Amino acid sequence: MKKIFYVLSLLIIASMVLTACGGGSAATEAPAAATEAPAATDAPAATEAPAAATEAPTAVPTPTIPAPVTTGGEGCAPGSTQVTWFVGLGAGSNADVVPLEKAWVEKYNKSQTEACVLLNIVYNTGSNSYDALRALVAGGNAPEIVGPVGKAGRASFQGAWADVKSLADAASYDLTKYDPQLLDFTSDEGVLVGLPFALFPSFIFYDKTLFDEAQLPYPPHKVGELYDGKPWDLATFQDLAMKLTVDANGNDATSADFDPKSVTQFGFFEQWTDARGIGAFFDGGIPYDAATNSAVIPDSYTAAWKWYYDGIWTNHFMPNADYQNSDQFNKGNLFASGNVAMSWTHTWYTCCFDLSKTSWDIAVVPSIDGKTTAKLHGDTFAIMEESKNKEVAFKVLTAMVTDPELPIMYGGIPAVAADRPAFFAAKDKAAAPNVIDWSVAEAMLAYPDLPNHEAWLPNLADANSLFGAFRTMMDQTPDVNMDEAIAKLKSDLDAAYKKAAP
Amino acid sequence: MSAVTRTNLASVPSRPRVTARTRRQWTYGFLFLSPWIIGFFAFQLLPILFTVFLSFTDYSASSEFKLGNFNFVGLDNYRQFAIDPLALPSMGVTLKFALIGIPLGLIVPLLLAVLVNSRRLLASSLFRTLFYLPSVIPVVAGTIIFGGVMNAQSGWLNLSLQALGITDPPRWFTDPTWAGFALNLLAIWSVGNAMIILLASLQGVPTELYEAATVDGAGPITQFFYITVPMISPVIFYNITIGIILAFQFFVPALLIGGTNGDPQASLLFFPMVFYREAFVFSRMGYASVLAIVIFVVTMLATGLLFYFGQRLVYYASGETS
Repeated sequence: MKKIFYVLSLLIIASMVLTACGGGSAATEAPAAATEAPAATDAPAATEAPAAATEAPTAVPTPTIPAPVTTGGEGCAPGSTQVTWFVGLGAGSNADVVPLEKAWVEKYNKSQTEACVLLNIVYNTGSNSYDALRALVAGGNAPEIVGPVGKAGRASFQGAWADVKSLADAASYDLTKYDPQLLDFTSDEGVLVGLPFALFPSFIFYDKTLFDEAQLPYPPHKVGELYDGKPWDLATFQDLAMKLTVDANGNDATSADFDPKSVTQFGFFEQWTDARGIGAFFDGGIPYDAATNSAVIPDSYTAAWKWYYDGIWTNHFMPNADYQNSDQFNKGNLFASGNVAMSWTHTWYTCCFDLSKTSWDIAVVPSIDGKTTAKLHGDTFAIMEESKNKEVAFKVLTAMVTDPELPIMYGGIPAVAADRPAFFAAKDKAAAPNVIDWSVAEAMLAYPDLPNHEAWLPNLADANSLFGAFRTMMDQTPDVNMDEAIAKLKSDLDAAYKKAAP
Repeated sequence: MSAVTRTNLASVPSRPRVTARTRRQWTYGFLFLSPWIIGFFAFQLLPILFTVFLSFTDYSASSEFKLGNFNFVGLDNYRQFAIDPLALPSMGVTLKFALIGIPLGLIVPLLLAVLVNSRRLLASSLFRTLFYLPSVIPVVAGTIIFGGVMNAQSGWLNLSLQALGITDPPRWFTDPTWAGFALNLLAIWSVGNAMIILLASLQGVPTELYEAATVDGAGPITQFFYITVPMISPVIFYNITIGIILAFQFFVPALLIGGTNGDPQASLLFFPMVFYREAFVFSRMGYASVLAIVIFVVTMLATGLLFYFGQRLVYYASGETS
């Protein structure tokens, strides 16, 4: 009797402990739009900046964050090696993509007997997916594969990625079939951390309804094409953007009666990028001089930032932070509001507005001082250094990057040119009845920002934080002396670079 | 001599015998307490000790938490704190918030409690419910709602101010002059808990005190300051103590509104935010641990000072005053 009572007591205590430690979370789907790229962490050493990198959208905080999605090895062969695939540092955690990912995993598990892929999807909002991955690594449960992930996401876990080249060599996987430039895209500080997978060129998304209302011709679809008889350059572009900016009284931003305090429609917005991305509108550049380990702000960045700032506070064709976060402009996802005529962003933005209900198309970026620059992102899947099954993970990785279904899923143009028609056909289907001129996207691939706006910098996490704060300052603050602000940024960057480990 | 000793020994009370029953009761007592004890050691004491340990290392959250990934750096992290250009200003942001927020967080719920305690108020139950209701809304949801309500361009607040003739209302969350105060206003939204506690306390004040005061000719204001406030002073003291602790931990709304940079222009860079950035943005767990320890020490000191100086002003009906 006494023993039974003891056992009963222990059971009650165990259940109380389990109840106390267990967590439940309500899962409500709340797909939201991206605002800013996550900050990254320190980098060990400086190397030549990669040609291009990726920044995937992260979402604004929402009251209810969907619970992580995990799979339990559906379709796996008995005795197969477990390979965990973590999704959350970039695209891939939106509710509409999750079922496709689960289906892909099940299909893959059934197709072979060596690997058993387990999914772990953490909704990418704020920094929670980054925190989740950190917790997994710190707890000794590092996933095998992480992705899709771009340059900025990888930089947040500097040094945590395995060298894929040695894995490819061990598996006799032929890397020569890839364009060397693409291999550079997927290398961090000279180490190949993935296989080329998908590219995300940038271009101008435009709302045809707003152009039609203003009775203005659509922007050019080919580099070098004239717009309304004028060269498609910065002056023409700004003039067009101002004509498409309208206040509550119907005056556009070129009118003397225009009221900047009651704008109902903006002509242009550089959506979901940081200060380096804004700088890349004028040309590629890197704010770092490796020879002196000091900050150097490229002239093109300085010019682009001043143009951007004046666009908000003097010429009023771009929204300030109050407009950006207002209900009327969809709280950060501005183009989707239907009140922004042109937005400069990447292919991945097809994730985030109603492709079929919005009347839209894409146009080439204007030339600045005779040069066309379209900043470029490129995603991959990476294997973690702490992974316990790297060889099997590499086999899964090769299947992922060569499956034409995955780029369609994530909105990236396939790295392999032969797979692109299928990608565009799938996008056309989603955008119908719109007929999108995808030749623009392919054309913009030829004008990447070099050096890339996400290229490595010493102490990248601190540097990214400074660039993020600088953009927010431009968005929020009137009457800024931009020369002084840029000088301060340079000085802060210098301090951050010096803080980096030698 | 020996007789005295014997007498003294006899006067010493004998140690109570621990019977088998008492031992069994102790065993069961500890067994049933063990969930809390295990939880306390595993989830509170151990992490605190690890925080102290990490503060002497350069551990980065990007690597596995295991031996070999820690390098002892002595007092480097503490030296870093002394020269951190963000540490002192962010403590200033926190203190400024506390200086406005703690009095507001006491006065507003006290006034509401007095209001809903009034016999002259119609449908007082309804008002109690309405005032308490925001407390059950999650802080993240509440903050996002307020982000919209206080948006300078489309928020109801500024639209209302404009309707009242204020042509250039504050840019609440984008102007560094207003952002901190806007969060103070936001915090008032959820004073329901404090109001309920104060209301319960108000209802515990003996009515005969008011009756006697009325007979003596004391008006409502005199009664409030000379009867009500002293009688509920223990609860006021409790609310101030909790207010101080929460003010030093204030963080989530600031993160949601101002991001990890504490925008606009670091005006919302509260001290816990600097800790959060170091730990979870920059992965510098060693230095972040120092900041966590600083928050702990400062909060302890502030609470200790409050107890030392403040409790003398508290009136306990039972007679114990500090």
